[in-house]
Amino acid sequence: MNILAQQKNLLHLDSESWMASLKAQLPLISSEVILVITMCLVILVPIFAKKNILYTALTAALGIALALVTVNQGGESGAIIFGGHLAIDPFSQYFKTILYVFALLVLYMWWQTGKDETQEKDTPDFLCLILGATIGMSLMSSASSLLMMFVAMETASMPSYALAGFRKRTKLGSEASMKYLIFGSASSAIMVYGMSLIYSATGSLDFGIIAAQAAIDFSPVLSIGIAATISGILFKLSAAPLHFWCPDVFQAAPTEITTFLSVASKGAAICLLVRLTSAFGAIEGAEFNGLASAVAVVGGITAFIGNLAAIKQTNLKRLLAYSSISHAGFMISAAGLVAIQGESKVSIESAILFYLLIYMFMNLGAFTCVALIKKHTGGEELNDIKGFFKRSPMLASLFIVCLMSLFGMPTAGGFMAKFYLFTSLEATPNAAIFMIIILLINTLISLFYYIKPAAIMIFKQDEQEQGPVFPAWSTLSIVAVMAAMIMWTGINPDSFMNGIAKSSTIKVTQTTPLKPIQINATQIIKKDKKTNAGH
Amino acid sequence: MEYLVNLMIFLPLFGGVICLIQGKKENARLAALVFSVLTCVISLIVGYAYYGTQQATGANPVQFETSFVWIEHINVYYRTGVDGMSMPLVLLSTIISILVVLAAFSIEKNVNIFMALYMMLLSGMLGVFLSMDMILFYVFFEISLLPMYFLIGIWGGPRREYAAIKFFLYTLAGSICLLITMMGLYFFTGEATGADGLNTWAMISSEVGTLTLQSDAVRSLFSQSGAHWTFGQAAFWLTLIAFMVKLPAVPFHTWLPDAHVQAPTPISMILAGVLLKMGGYALMRITYPFFPEAAAFFWYPVALLGVIAIVYGAFCALAQHLNAECDWKKLVAYSSVSHMGFVTLGLAVMNETAFNGAYYQMIGHGIGSALMFFLVGVVYERAHRRDMSSFKGLWLHWPAYGGWSLVGFFAGLGLPGLCGFIGEIMVFLGVFKASNGVGAGHEAAVWTLGAIAATGVVLTAGYILWMFQRVYMGQPKEEYNSFAPIKPRENGIMVALGILAIVFGIFPFLVFDLTDNTVAGLFTIFNDAIKTVLASAG
Repeated sequence: MNILAQQKNLLHLDSESWMASLKAQLPLISSEVILVITMCLVILVPIFAKKNILYTALTAALGIALALVTVNQGGESGAIIFGGHLAIDPFSQYFKTILYVFALLVLYMWWQTGKDETQEKDTPDFLCLILGATIGMSLMSSASSLLMMFVAMETASMPSYALAGFRKRTKLGSEASMKYLIFGSASSAIMVYGMSLIYSATGSLDFGIIAAQAAIDFSPVLSIGIAATISGILFKLSAAPLHFWCPDVFQAAPTEITTFLSVASKGAAICLLVRLTSAFGAIEGAEFNGLASAVAVVGGITAFIGNLAAIKQTNLKRLLAYSSISHAGFMISAAGLVAIQGESKVSIESAILFYLLIYMFMNLGAFTCVALIKKHTGGEELNDIKGFFKRSPMLASLFIVCLMSLFGMPTAGGFMAKFYLFTSLEATPNAAIFMIIILLINTLISLFYYIKPAAIMIFKQDEQEQGPVFPAWSTLSIVAVMAAMIMWTGINPDSFMNGIAKSSTIKVTQTTPLKPIQINATQIIKKDKKTNAGH
Repeated sequence: MEYLVNLMIFLPLFGGVICLIQGKKENARLAALVFSVLTCVISLIVGYAYYGTQQATGANPVQFETSFVWIEHINVYYRTGVDGMSMPLVLLSTIISILVVLAAFSIEKNVNIFMALYMMLLSGMLGVFLSMDMILFYVFFEISLLPMYFLIGIWGGPRREYAAIKFFLYTLAGSICLLITMMGLYFFTGEATGADGLNTWAMISSEVGTLTLQSDAVRSLFSQSGAHWTFGQAAFWLTLIAFMVKLPAVPFHTWLPDAHVQAPTPISMILAGVLLKMGGYALMRITYPFFPEAAAFFWYPVALLGVIAIVYGAFCALAQHLNAECDWKKLVAYSSVSHMGFVTLGLAVMNETAFNGAYYQMIGHGIGSALMFFLVGVVYERAHRRDMSSFKGLWLHWPAYGGWSLVGFFAGLGLPGLCGFIGEIMVFLGVFKASNGVGAGHEAAVWTLGAIAATGVVLTAGYILWMFQRVYMGQPKEEYNSFAPIKPRENGIMVALGILAIVFGIFPFLVFDLTDNTVAGLFTIFNDAIKTVLASAG
């Protein structure tokens, strides 16, 4: 069967009843459809309820909640729909669940801490942008062809550029937004160029077919194309050396947007990276050691750069931005090894999902703390939190819990996340031990800056002798719940791990390559992605 | 009894929460005292029951074991229990902890937080001694760091922040070495026969059919003839470094003088009395039983590290006399480094006498150093300086204090009849016996080691007697009259520790009755390993 016929088959062009197939496929993306409708409603509702932005916000929240309950699991092994562009599988659907919960929490956080800074007439725009980015991210986690990948990434990026500069009339905000836009467009351009190279080398846009072709003939053109394409994803993940936008944007953007970008945007990008590398890993008999180790090395360098740069930071948000760079480095390292993984009790995909989940708890908690600190001290510099433990023991303690979890202290979820990630590398012990040593050295370095805010809050005296502050319970409750989740996942990780282990299946287009592959006996024994994942 | 063992770990944690919510200083102190006494009572009950079962059956060293699945996906168990290796150290921790709480009554700043952190620390320490699963052990090993960091950082001396972060970073670097080893164990133990492809984290277990990390099947993977000998060697050194940082052994000891000098008195007491023992305990629980062949293979460099620690620590302590600061507490801190060198040396030569000696040295040092730090603290609280050259004639001013100082410092010196002696002498005897064991064929090397280590004892006598002469002898100074008299509480702590020092100097069987069966079990492993290594060496 030639490529054209294959594509036709995938696109159901020969099928008489494409309407019927649309009917069958549409329910699988019901949550995205709901989000699109909500996006329109959010613009329309203010026309009828001019006075109160509560209705607009409620519409958005209800839309996301509805999307959350309608996340379609798409069966145990997943399905590839719309001509190979979207993969609806347990992996993507679990990420979407995390994403929608997170989007809801960010909306709540915004309502509590950032609403006053957003002008009333801007609220619908703000919500609309958040919803748009969410749609883009949820499509990113499902994208299984280069075309869909590009569309989804742009859908997620465009609102992000605008959101980063949403604090109008601040120089920093405009600068960050502009920086993000220019860097982002440049990397998109490189990515599209890479895609065109891949298409010219393989004649396909589908991840599965590209990987199968790469197994036969890994031409230089193809490798440049793959490198350029992956660099586009790595930009979203703020991997070194494409990380320069991240601290500036995270510092200047409103805190709730920083939180949103740090978890959702990076999470979606890591899902995309895992899907791409796992497409390569699914090809029997082909070794992608070069690809795997290149991505893993980039991850290691990213972790180093994030951690070393964070030590000198004095702005809390900037510090957490560098921390998020280093966490992304951890996940990128593991994602690279997906391309060569074999038998293991915990699959790397599920470990990354677990990491993302815990990372969401930690970052949401930590950034909400920063937002509260900003609200009550007027600043987010390290100097502003001198003696803060005395002023608000509760908030300070919760902040310390989040920081210690980010660092990876046992009994906190952050430790379990790292630990799972390490154990999932079982199938490639030699690469894994090397990587684990690198990542653990990073953990040691990260202690410097995670303990610094805690030390300043507790050890230093507040020269101005400011009185105690009492953060509102409604806001503090977000942090409290996140801290509780951090401790709960640290003490009883199985409560989430059981669900995630079942959700690590990634559906990849199965295809017969154009030229026959020479497979010898030892290679046949190697992995079979579909059966191994999740056990 | 199983319930009591688990209760012992979590009761202090609960007590810490109770301390935290107390508004008044007195209530927080009282709550901490009540919970540490309760913990001690429980540990005594468990200890008595353990002693009974050891006398009755004698066979199975692990008793009162709780085990259930904690993290299913990677086969991690929540597994606690006691055996001969942990029981005496648990008793030591709980008894010392009461005295530490009493000593901490002099803390006036944020008492409730101090006590809460201290109780959390106690929980962590007991957890380390009582957990029988590697991950659980690691978790408790790490948990004990955080409260210590804050205890030194908030209530410490002028350079407290530097000392606290140094302590944290050093120990964490050690923990990371341990974590690397643990990941290696995870990757490889699935290959052991009987593991069903599952890795195992159990360090030791009484359950029949549980594959533990010190069982033959797993150990043979990391032996000379096994599939992962290179990893076995690396893991031996990694775990050795991890626990030598905690012990501490030269050259990983530099955090200790800073931490001790900056820490408040009660924290110095618990640091020297119990926390350092976690390092020695872990060496006996993990490094040596898991990788005995690597241990027998590398016995000489390790023994050398021990000897260096003994002599170098003693010289450093001696140098405090010549130092401009003339810091009394630093002298005691370096004496800890020197004394812990005996633990390293005793373990390295791998025979039963030296092993028992090393174990006894930990108990003896736990009592002796806690007393020494308290004695220094009593004077420091009144004079607010630790310059030895600025004191003299303390004995005549406070005769009772001087008397207990004699007991404390001479226990540190290793005077026969006091708790410091038995450990040292047994280690020496064991070292010379090594010429029949690991050191067979290298008599000259073995004896040189013993001889150099013995000079450490002379140096110890030197710095302790010199200190005693400077601080306690002569006519009292005028300013002493302005010092507050010794409180009954302080007297009580001195008397209790002093009596313990004498009792454990006279009745070593109090410890050995509890440890003998476990040590005998370990030596069936060690002797096999020594035989294999000697045979392969030719």
